[in-house]
Amino acid sequence: MLAALLVSFLGAILARFVVSRTFPHGGWVAALLPAGLFLFFLAKGASLPEVGAITETLEWVPALGISLTLRLDGFALLFVLLITGIGTLVTIYAGAYFAHSPKEEAARFLTLILLFMTAMLGTVLSDNLIVMFVFWEATSLLSFMLIGFNSHRAQARKAALQSLIVTGGGGLALFGGILLIGMTLGTFSLSEVAQRATELLASPLAVPAMILIMLGAFTKSAQLPFHFWLPQAMEAPAPASAFLHSATMVKLGVYLLARFDLIFEGIPAFGATLVIVGSLTMLVAAVRALSTDGFKEVLAHSTVGSLGVLVMLIGLDGDYSVTALIAFIIAHALYKAALFFCAGTTIHAVGEGRLSKIGGLARRLPMTTLAAGMAAISMAGLPPTLGFITKEYLFESQLNASSGWVVVAVAVLVNAVFAAIAGVAAIRPYYLGKTRSEVKHPETLGLYLGPLVLGGLGFLFGLAPDFLVRGLIQPANDVLVGHTVDLSFSLWHGFTPMLALSATVVAFAGGLIAYWHRIHYALSLNKGLARVLGDFGFNAAFAGLLRLAERCTRLLQNGDQHRYTSTVAAAVLLIIGYGVLASGTRPVIALTDGRFDMPSVIVLLLMCLGAFAATRTPSLLRAMIAVGVVGFGSALIFLLNGAPDVALTQFSVEVLLVLILVALLLRVPERAASTREPREKRLDILISAGFALVVFVALAATVALPLDGRISDFYAATSYLEAHGRNVVNVVLVDYRAIDTLGEVIVVAFAAMSVWGLLRIMPRRRAAP
Amino acid sequence: MHLLFAFAIAIVAGCSLYLILSRHIVRILLGVTMLSAAINLVIFLSGRIVTNVPAVIRAGESSLSADAANPLPQALVLTAIVIGFSLTAFFAALALQTYRSLGSVDTRHIDAAERLGSPFPAAKDRP
Repeated sequence: MLAALLVSFLGAILARFVVSRTFPHGGWVAALLPAGLFLFFLAKGASLPEVGAITETLEWVPALGISLTLRLDGFALLFVLLITGIGTLVTIYAGAYFAHSPKEEAARFLTLILLFMTAMLGTVLSDNLIVMFVFWEATSLLSFMLIGFNSHRAQARKAALQSLIVTGGGGLALFGGILLIGMTLGTFSLSEVAQRATELLASPLAVPAMILIMLGAFTKSAQLPFHFWLPQAMEAPAPASAFLHSATMVKLGVYLLARFDLIFEGIPAFGATLVIVGSLTMLVAAVRALSTDGFKEVLAHSTVGSLGVLVMLIGLDGDYSVTALIAFIIAHALYKAALFFCAGTTIHAVGEGRLSKIGGLARRLPMTTLAAGMAAISMAGLPPTLGFITKEYLFESQLNASSGWVVVAVAVLVNAVFAAIAGVAAIRPYYLGKTRSEVKHPETLGLYLGPLVLGGLGFLFGLAPDFLVRGLIQPANDVLVGHTVDLSFSLWHGFTPMLALSATVVAFAGGLIAYWHRIHYALSLNKGLARVLGDFGFNAAFAGLLRLAERCTRLLQNGDQHRYTSTVAAAVLLIIGYGVLASGTRPVIALTDGRFDMPSVIVLLLMCLGAFAATRTPSLLRAMIAVGVVGFGSALIFLLNGAPDVALTQFSVEVLLVLILVALLLRVPERAASTREPREKRLDILISAGFALVVFVALAATVALPLDGRISDFYAATSYLEAHGRNVVNVVLVDYRAIDTLGEVIVVAFAAMSVWGLLRIMPRRRAAP
Repeated sequence: MHLLFAFAIAIVAGCSLYLILSRHIVRILLGVTMLSAAINLVIFLSGRIVTNVPAVIRAGESSLSADAANPLPQALVLTAIVIGFSLTAFFAALALQTYRSLGSVDTRHIDAAERLGSPFPAAKDRP
C-alpha cells in the first residue's frame, strides 16, 4: 500500500507532462493511474474477509512516536474504492471538460486532481493520527488551489481563501485534539486508541479532545455553523466540485466522526451533539437550497444537507444507523457526483449557470439528460435504486433510535426537499423552460461516460444489492460496529412505517416541484434570511479582524517616535513587573557592606544633580555640560575605587565627547523648546521613575547575592605566572580576551568610517517644515 | 555604600530614559550618552565596589592580593566605554546630517517612512 501511495504521488507529478503531450486526450491517459489503483485496492479488498485488516509500517520519526502506518480495513476500503473509482471517472471527465482550454490549464488541473486523490488516499489509510493530519491538511490545501483554479476571478479567490480559513482553522482544532489524545495515551495509533477507549474516557482531557475533533470534522464536512464555505466553493471547475465537494473530501469529516464514534460513544453528549448539529444543518441547507437559482449551488446546498444526514446518522443510537450511514455514503457519492457532472456539462455547454435561464436541452444533450434522470431518481429515493434502499434504512434507524419524532420529521421534510431538487435538476434544464438554450460545446463521450456509469450503478446496486452488501457494506459495518452483524438488503421491505414515510416524502416533493417558482420567489425576497443563513457571520468576523488590525497599527505605529519609545519602555517595565510579581520571590534589599566612603558619596550626589539638570534645562549647551558632569563623575568613581585604567579611559572619552558635541551644537540651534505636551511629560516622568525603580531594585538584589569570583580568581592567580603581566586588567584585555578587544577596535574603526561616510555628503536642504 | 551606588545609578538611568523619550534628537543623544555611563557603573557595581586598591600584582608576588579590586568588571567596562563612545559619535554624525538635510532636529519632522498619525500611505502615494 505504501508503494501504491508513492505511485499515486509520482503519477500525479508525471501527469503534468503526460497530459500536455497527449492533449486533448490526456484525460483518458491520466485515468489509467486511478483506474490501476482502483483495481489494486479491489484485489486487496478481496482478501480482507480472511485477514481482517492489512497493516504496513514504515518508521518516519520514531523519536516522536510517528510512524507511517497504513491500515486497510473494511471502512477504509469503502473510502479507498470511492476515491479511486470516482477519481477515474473525474479524470476522464476533466480531460473532456478542458478539451477546449489551453493544454497547460488541463495539465495543471489534472495534476491537482491526482495529487488531491493521493492526499485523500493517505488520509483514509493512515493509522497514525499525525500522518493522517498531514494528509488531511494536504486535502484542504489542494481544495484551496482547486476552488481558486480560475484565479483571475475575484469571486474564486475569495471563495478559495474562505474555504482555506475555515478548513485550515478546523484543522488546527483537530491537531489540538490529536495532541491531547497523544498526551493522554502516549500513542498516536488510531487502532490502539480505539482499543484503549475506556482509558481515554477516564481522563479529564477526553471532553476537550472530543470537542476539538468535532470542530475539525464540522469544518471539513460543512456542518453548522461552518456550512457556508461549501456553496461558495462552487467557484471550482465542475470536475473538482464533483470530486472534492460532494463525493470525497467533504466526507472526511464524516469519516473522522465515524472512526471516533467507537471511541467517544461513552460520552452521551457526543451522539446528542451530532444529532442536533446534523439536523440543524439539514434544515438550513434545505431552506437555502430552495432560495437558490444556480444549478451547482442548488446541488451544493443539498450536499450540505446530505452531510448533515450523515453526521446525524453517526450520532443516532440503535440498530441500522451504521448500515444506513454506509449505504448513504455510497448512494450519495454515486448520484451527487453524477449530478455535478451533468451540471458541469450543461453549464459548460450553454455558458449559463442559472437554472431559470436554461431550458429545453434534452435534444441537444441526450446522454447527459439520461444520466441526470437516473441519478435524480436515486437522489429522490425512488425504487428501484440504491437511494430508495438507503432512505428506507435512514427512516428505520431513526424510528429505532431514542431521539424522538422531531428528528424523523426533519428527515422527512429535508428528504422531500432533496427529492424536489433532484426533480428540478433533472427536469428543468432539459425539458422545461421557455428559452431553448444555444449549445456551444456539445457533449462528448468523456463528458457523459462518468455520469452514465454512476447513474447506472445506482440502479444496479438497487436491483441487486447482495454483491454490494457482501463486498463493501458488511466489512465496513463490522469495523464501525465492532463485531459482525448479519445484514440483508432488499429492495422490497413490505408495507412498513418506512414505506409510509417514503410515500409522504414523494407527495411532499411533488408539491414542492409544482410550486418551486413561488417558493423560490418568496424566499429570495427575504434578503435577511439569506444573510443570516449564509456567510454573514464569517464576513463580519473577517472584516472585524481587519479593522482591529488597522486600529492596532494606527495605535502602535502612528509615525511618532515618542510613542514608539514610550511603548517599548512601558512594555519592558510591565513585563519585568509582572515577572517579579508572578515569580512570588521578593527581591532582597539589604546593607551588604559596612563601608562608607565620603568622597564617593559626594561624587554620586554631583552625578545625580547633573542628571537632573540635564533633564530640566532648555539650553542644549547646559544640558551637555550636565551630561559631562555625569561622565566625569563616573570617571572619578572609577578612580576612587581601584580602577585607574578605567578612569583614564573615561576621562579621555569624555574630552572627545565634549569636542564632538560642541561641534554638533555649533550647527544645531542651541536653545531647544520642549517637544512634549505636559500630559506626555507626566507620563514620561512616570515611566522614567518606574525604570529607575527597576534599576535600583535589580542592583540592590544583585549586590545582596554572594559574588561568584571564580573567573576573577582565575585571572588573579594566573595573570603574572602565565601572561607575565602585573596589571591584571591590562592582561585580561590584551591577552585573555584579546579577540574581544580586536572586535572592539574594529567597532571603533567602523564607527569612524560611517561618520566619515555620513558627513562627506552635503545634502540638499529640504524645505524646513 | 552599595545601596547608595545603586540609588545614584538608578537616578542617572531614570533621567537618561526621560531624555531618550524626548522628540529632540540632541536630547535623545545626550540621554543615550548618559545611559551608557550609568550602565558602565552597573557593570562596575556588579563586581562589588569594596576597595580602592588597583588590580595590580605587587612586585615580588606572583598573584593578586586578596584586598585588590575585582579585575573582571574593569576589563568589561573598558570595552563598554569605547563601544559606547563609538555609538555616541555615530549618533552625533547622524543627528548633524539630519539637521543638514531636514533643517530640523524634531523627530516629528522625520516622516519619510510613515506619516505622523497613520501608518497607512496617503492615497496619492499608494501604488
